[in-house]
Amino acid sequence: MSLLTVENLSKHYEGRRSLVERLTGVPQTVVRAVNGIDLTVEKGEILGLIGESGCGKSTLGRAILRLHEPTTGKVTFDGTDVTALDAAGLKAMRRRMQIIFQDPYASLNPRRTVAQIVGLPLKLHGLAQTDDEARAIVARICERVGLKANQLDRYPHQFSGGQRQRIGIARALVSNPEFIVCDEPVSALDVSIQAQIIALLLELKREMGLTYLFISHDISVIGYLADRVAVMYLGEIVEMGPVEAILANPRHPYTQSLMSAVPEVDHAGRRARVRLAGDLPSPLNPPAGCKFHTRCPLAVEACRSRAPVTETVGPGHSAACHRLAENLSLLEGTPA
Amino acid sequence: MTQTLLDVRGLRTVFETRAGRVCAVDGVDVTVQRGECLGVVGESGSGKSVTFSSVMGLVKSPGRVDEGTISFDGRDLRALSPAEMRAVRGRDIAMTMQDALTALNPALTVGEQIAEVLEAHDETLPPRGAARRAAIRAKSVEMLGLVGIPSAENRLRQYPHEFSGGMRQRIMIAIALACRPKLLIADEPTTALDVTIQAQVLELISDIRARLGMSVVLITHDLGVVAEHCDRVMVMYAGQVVEEGPTAQVIGDPQHPYTQGLLASIPRPGLRGQPIRPIEGQVPDLIGLAPQCRFYSRCTRRTDACLAPVEMRAAGPNRRARCILIEEDRA
Ligand SMILES: Nc1ncnc2c1ncn2[C@@H]1O[C@H](COP(=O)(O)OP(=O)(O)OP(=O)(O)O)[C@@H](O)[C@H]1O
Ligand SMILES: Nc1ncnc2c1ncn2[C@@H]1O[C@H](COP(=O)(O)OP(=O)(O)OP(=O)(O)O)[C@@H](O)[C@H]1O
Ligand code: SF4
Ligand SMILES: [Mg+2]
Ligand SMILES: [Mg+2]
Repeated sequence: MSLLTVENLSKHYEGRRSLVERLTGVPQTVVRAVNGIDLTVEKGEILGLIGESGCGKSTLGRAILRLHEPTTGKVTFDGTDVTALDAAGLKAMRRRMQIIFQDPYASLNPRRTVAQIVGLPLKLHGLAQTDDEARAIVARICERVGLKANQLDRYPHQFSGGQRQRIGIARALVSNPEFIVCDEPVSALDVSIQAQIIALLLELKREMGLTYLFISHDISVIGYLADRVAVMYLGEIVEMGPVEAILANPRHPYTQSLMSAVPEVDHAGRRARVRLAGDLPSPLNPPAGCKFHTRCPLAVEACRSRAPVTETVGPGHSAACHRLAENLSLLEGTPA
Repeated sequence: MTQTLLDVRGLRTVFETRAGRVCAVDGVDVTVQRGECLGVVGESGSGKSVTFSSVMGLVKSPGRVDEGTISFDGRDLRALSPAEMRAVRGRDIAMTMQDALTALNPALTVGEQIAEVLEAHDETLPPRGAARRAAIRAKSVEMLGLVGIPSAENRLRQYPHEFSGGMRQRIMIAIALACRPKLLIADEPTTALDVTIQAQVLELISDIRARLGMSVVLITHDLGVVAEHCDRVMVMYAGQVVEEGPTAQVIGDPQHPYTQGLLASIPRPGLRGQPIRPIEGQVPDLIGLAPQCRFYSRCTRRTDACLAPVEMRAAGPNRRARCILIEEDRA
């Protein structure tokens, strides 16, 4: 059984309307940030979630933890239906499911010290009997993530971005969770600091037997660390599979164009480029049919009217595109 | 006409702050050849933007260019009057700023902003009247078309917020190119953009460079972008250039321990299964720097000899690096 199972999960945000708009009957707009997502995460693996800005990655991560209440769908963690839990049950579950946030600058309370920030989950879940015990646990976890004992009583603004992300990691780890949503934990950091944090997350995973949903828009990072990859476009998963298959044999035209767009140090100039026309459509007004059809070089009539269904294309590998059967590749002619 | 378009020597730019003097750029040499694309990489705060703002004469108080020569197309830019410098900026060198959203004026339409540049710098326009307005309009439409913005006629009337991030970057480039500069400095033109849009913008810059025969300086923190688009690369660290040379050579065989560390630590599919070896520690504070190698505190190969100031050394033909491990006689 998978550690985490997500079934038909959706999160829709209602758009804001001004009073005048409401009175004059301007219809309610809905942002379908996450739309009918199915996925599983196995114990001990890293599922990479990739997609362009605004496609719904953070929303999905938060809806799984019910930090944002899902609109529809079911999340099962280790046999428990998370979506059906009451407040007390959810609180207990949060000890086991944690998140590291995208922005190390905004996600830490500026008025709390490191010791207070990292110690809060211990208090919340009653994991330490005394203050001394809590302090000792906090000191141990902070040391593990590379913060010094004499930094525990400092405030977040006294730290660099990389150090702040270490504080966020310590906070997520202190309750000894099994599953962590890593929401772009390195995107806001400098290149040489990114590597430090990634190395740390991988070490911690190994030591503590953790499972990650690792969100990133950086294919290089995902290609380096994920076991399986899910590719998201406008609120939907368009392709999912083992990392080797996604890198070597992407089947959805969007995945193919993503792959061809990554500038790579190792293969400069050796890739065929797929040029996508146009910009990302607005999730307020998603295109009908296949949501990628407005930019897809392979789009045909069917793509404009009907949404494609997800099909299996290889072992553990699936994609949703009308033209899968034709086995086309936008990357054709690419030297191997 | 020499091959060298831009030649900066010993540039030093400082900021007087309450905490002390920040030496943001310290002894930087830059050369850009005609028609070439130079990549500039380095961590946040390493001085990439300040170096080229200095070239443009755009460093604002409390900052100032303290030392060095900046020669462009044979002219000494530091000797020019503010008015002469303004003329150079519009006509000869253009820079697109790091943040396209704030760099464009939100109160003016895109058409007005392009027209402003043309008004100030384009000497080929008819002197006045309807003919001048028509010529400006035609050129504006042409520029937007060049950067791939469809139905340019209508879009000239729109404001920056009506465009997506990628389109705003392209509009910035259109404005920068309005007077066909000899040098385009693109400061992180793609950082805020998604990969597929990033690829569009970079290819656009490459296309235009080839078509107009212009030189480009591409400031980025992405070595992948440099690998694909730049002839030469300059690596900056804590206000100094630490390595410089042809892109393929620098990436294939980096000489400076910082460049080596950076390349060994960029997570990428090619390193799957191997541990990445991050560069430990942090960038030093630019206030009150000790007169030693600035990478000293993070370098795995440091020795006591690194505690003295380290100069750039030749690291092979056309290559230089700032490290005592480079043997001078390899040149
Ligand atoms: N609280 C909210 N209210 C309304 N719309 C929202 C809200 N949060 C997110 N959205 C919208 O939902 C969509 C998905 O946003 P989300 O933050 O999940 O994207 P993302 O993939 O994480 O993007 P990024 O890579 O930029 O972090 C976007 O269109 C966003 O504007
Ligand atoms: N107005 C200012 N006052 C004080 N210091 C400044 C000012 N502007 C820049 N600096 C300092 O100059 C140094 C170099 O900044 P610069 O903007 O050139 O970095 P950069 O390499 O472009 O970084 P990034 O990748 O973040 O854009 C920084 O350490 C910064 O703190
Ligand atoms: S379904 Fe059609 S539009 Fe969508 S990705 Fe496949 S070919 Fe392109
Ligand atoms: Mg996000
Ligand atoms: Mg900068």
